Amino acid sequence: MTTTISLATRTSAPTLKRSPSPWMRIALRTLRNIPALIGFLLIVAFFFTALFANFLAPYSYDKQDLDNIEKPPSAQHWLGTDSLGRDMLSRLIYGARSSAFVVLLVTVVNLALGIPLGAAAGYFGGWLENLIMRTTEILFAFPGLLFTFLIAATIRPAVLDWARSNGFADLARSGYLDYAVVIIALGFVGWAGLARFVRGQVLTVKEREYVIGARSIGVPTWRVIGRHILPNALAPIIVALSMGMGFIALSEGYLSYLGIGLQPPNPSWGNIAAENFGRYWRTFPQFLWLVFIPGLILTLIVLAFAFFGDALNEALDPELVD
Amino acid sequence: MGTLLEVKDLRTEFHTQDGVVHAVNGVTFAVDEGETLGLVGESGCGKSVSVLSVMRLIPQPPGKIAGGQVLFQGRDLLTVDDEEIRSVRGNKIAMVFQDPMTSLNPVLTIDTQIGESLELHLGMTKEQARKRSVELLKMVGIPEAEGRIEDYPHQFSGGMRQRVMIAMALSCTPQLLIADEPTTALDVTILAQIIDIVKRLKRELGMAIIWITHDLGVIAGLADRINVMYAGFIIETAPVKEIFGNPLHPYTLGLLGSIPRLDETRKEKLTPIEGLPPDLVTMPTGCPFYDRCRFRTEKCLHENPPLEVSAVRHSVACWNWQDVVKARGRA
Repeated sequence: MTTTISLATRTSAPTLKRSPSPWMRIALRTLRNIPALIGFLLIVAFFFTALFANFLAPYSYDKQDLDNIEKPPSAQHWLGTDSLGRDMLSRLIYGARSSAFVVLLVTVVNLALGIPLGAAAGYFGGWLENLIMRTTEILFAFPGLLFTFLIAATIRPAVLDWARSNGFADLARSGYLDYAVVIIALGFVGWAGLARFVRGQVLTVKEREYVIGARSIGVPTWRVIGRHILPNALAPIIVALSMGMGFIALSEGYLSYLGIGLQPPNPSWGNIAAENFGRYWRTFPQFLWLVFIPGLILTLIVLAFAFFGDALNEALDPELVD
Repeated sequence: MGTLLEVKDLRTEFHTQDGVVHAVNGVTFAVDEGETLGLVGESGCGKSVSVLSVMRLIPQPPGKIAGGQVLFQGRDLLTVDDEEIRSVRGNKIAMVFQDPMTSLNPVLTIDTQIGESLELHLGMTKEQARKRSVELLKMVGIPEAEGRIEDYPHQFSGGMRQRVMIAMALSCTPQLLIADEPTTALDVTILAQIIDIVKRLKRELGMAIIWITHDLGVIAGLADRINVMYAGFIIETAPVKEIFGNPLHPYTLGLLGSIPRLDETRKEKLTPIEGLPPDLVTMPTGCPFYDRCRFRTEKCLHENPPLEVSAVRHSVACWNWQDVVKARGRA
């Protein structure tokens, strides 16, 4: 008698529990890390505050309470008021909105340029790769932040002049064009790093057998890239994006601090710190928190992105087993 | 039976930093409808590169198809445009790869992957493709196919994944199935099951197969005809019985001498083929097997023998194949 069970005829195969998708498992693994969990919560809080700033802030960011100028924290103004009598807490909350807006839009610009250009360079190679990669190298030849400052400082007057002389004077006054300047300056430099990174990922993934397999069943090129290569290269790209978001927030802070980014009265953590520092450094340490708190919040957000990205990177390590 | 695929003087090279690697050097062969062709040879002899060239799947650069024709149903696949070659891939010619652990996309479920070629080539909707995928999985013997269709590749064992690969390859009932060492990464019991499945499906679907292997034992029960490759050349081609009963090339003889047999008591040890194949960058002008050959002569050093007919349906690329026959008679 034979004891062999043919796999083809066995009817009572053990039913496997539907296991979560690979993405779900990675998410769970990431958030088991305590600093990453804190980072993640901070990031969520950051975007939440940005989205609902108008409901969360007790006052408007430019509302002046002329009876309470330069007041320390009180029940009425939790973080006190600045030299114009504006509520500090409200300004910081609206500052989150500025920061998140810049972070998201610059990330979108980076994605829109970096992913297609990087993927095309990696997949097609040849002259196209040369063109794209040499362009990124030219951008890299300048020190990153200084280059951003240079662009922002150069295009800002040009953009504002153009708006004024073309009937958009209100727009120029409103400060919204400052956002455009910051986003252009950061996006212009930022995509290059992502493009190089994506190219590297595509280069390693495109030689995998399942990619040749996909091509062997006649999948069109754009679909091979979009469906078989990029999703498998996505994990490290997401890590790079998370780290990059922190850097964008910080860069926006620098630009606004130096006065070539967002301009008061529009609040940015950078320009809040700069305004108050300019006013109060002589009276140190009086009103120190007005300078200190925006810097602290910015630092926390940058760290949150870094810790989260770091844990994500670890969770994505294929060597790691649950 | 009509000729399905005709490969004429195919040459493929790779341009690397160390020079030009001549991977396939003027290979000519044909596959009839419904025929099973075995492509045999040691690692790096150009088996995989020749079939990848047939499907135009060689990575370019560094690879380059330097010359030749690949006539599939009369059309030269090397000259048709991208769209046309895509309509052949997966639809008329399909491929199964060596390592089932790396041949499935880890982030897509099984039904998405099988469904992909059904949607592309047969214009099926997602729902139709899903139904057909379940049928295909049943056909290759995956138990509880309905329940497993939405699983990810990592939830399958190696043998099961190779079945999924076969199901994918057969989804559009191709006329030609190319199997690139599909059993090498599997253990022996699974290997036997996979071969049985392929034999059964070949009978049911009547497709032609090119089966690449370095294991003559696997191919013996499966192939109608065998091409032996060495250093990018086909050095002998014959029906499977001829190859085993009347090998004419010293290399084929050497290959047969190095397989253990269970059906006869053997006094002497297995005889390996001494030496290594030639460097494909600096190819010798003479016979590529010269350095390792027992039968070599002065002529072999200077002139590479062409593949010439030696008997009915039997060709060999050796100046001294008559000596091989005589030596075999003495042994």
